[in-house]
Amino acid sequence: MTRVMGVSGSPHRRGNTETLLDAFLGGAREAGAGVEKVVLSDLSYTSCRGCNVCHRTGICVVEDEAIPLLEAMAGVDLLALASPIYSMGITAELKGLVDRAQYLWARRFSLGTLDYPPEHLESHRGVFLSTAGSDWPGVFDAAFPVVQALFSGLGFSYVENLVYDSMDRHGGVRRHPTALAGARAAGRRLAGEGGAD
Amino acid sequence: MPITALGFAGSPRRHGNSETLLDRVLEAMASEPGVEVEKVVLVDADVRPCRGCNICEKTGDCVQKDGMIPLYDRILEADCVLLAAPVYCMGLPAQAKALVDRAQVYRSRRYVLGWPVVPEERKGKRLGIYLGTAGQDWEYVFDATLASVRCFMHVAGIRERDLATLLVRSVDESGAVKRYPTALDDAAALGRNAVATLRERLGP
Repeated sequence: MTRVMGVSGSPHRRGNTETLLDAFLGGAREAGAGVEKVVLSDLSYTSCRGCNVCHRTGICVVEDEAIPLLEAMAGVDLLALASPIYSMGITAELKGLVDRAQYLWARRFSLGTLDYPPEHLESHRGVFLSTAGSDWPGVFDAAFPVVQALFSGLGFSYVENLVYDSMDRHGGVRRHPTALAGARAAGRRLAGEGGAD
Repeated sequence: MPITALGFAGSPRRHGNSETLLDRVLEAMASEPGVEVEKVVLVDADVRPCRGCNICEKTGDCVQKDGMIPLYDRILEADCVLLAAPVYCMGLPAQAKALVDRAQVYRSRRYVLGWPVVPEERKGKRLGIYLGTAGQDWEYVFDATLASVRCFMHVAGIRERDLATLLVRSVDESGAVKRYPTALDDAAALGRNAVATLRERLGP
């Protein structure tokens, strides 16, 4: 059974982004996947301190709910990260989690103690779901490299973006012509392909 | 009236590379007559993430009563707003992103409520400075941080043409920026130029 985890980085409960994520996870469930959802605003973790101890040890010195969550995320087959666009980037909550994954970057690229073989990267797939109020071209562009950084540390290949802009004009994700159906279909398709079986 | 500068140290690491650049710019500005500078260290400032409640779209104020509340006025009162931050995972550190996101209040005032963000007589006069450092040497390493910083300055009433940047790549370990051939001199020059421009714009 494909294990799917959705991580919602929106502080706004049941808003556009979380609703989009729910549609994706609903699709994955329809495909028979085991689905889990984590809402970051329910968790307690602090921002990275920039102490760089992990660059020497590969271990984060801060003990809170960030590291157990990152370890759980690394264990699924399909990881869906969701965040609205705030000021051209992901939310501070999700950025806080991404920054805490620096210890994985240190293991993989600095210490050389973590390596993901090609078959691992193939079977661990990550998608990014996002909504933006505005219709500016490129409104999601600054979020993508940050998401890539997290997937890269966790050992996931970043396979797809499910991003929908102009939420203000449409009056929210539920009134958007394609967003929820698109996310549901993608959840069904990606959870139905591969996984640990 | 003195010229005022408000600088944010956005790194979780104290006295590291980006804060060193900020200190140098603020020093250069403060050494000019009639200039007052102030530094806010974000890790000590209790600026929490935006909750996305959108209440500011109705009230023009933030409901979270934390360290950001006094900063809302101080940012608008400053003639020069500076933000110093390293690149973390291709973006601003979460602490600096929280500051940027809380500036959503200014956006609500201007674009939702139709209020002026800065008084008419100060429009088009204020300056912004972004001091970025990155461990990597990639050409595009600052792209994502710049998008959020431009957003912050824009909603705070600072025009894009009035935003100066100093971006230093390949500085990772604490103190590396001091060995970078041009960084500290460039920072001092940025500070002096900002004061000169503000003097011209604001008059005696």
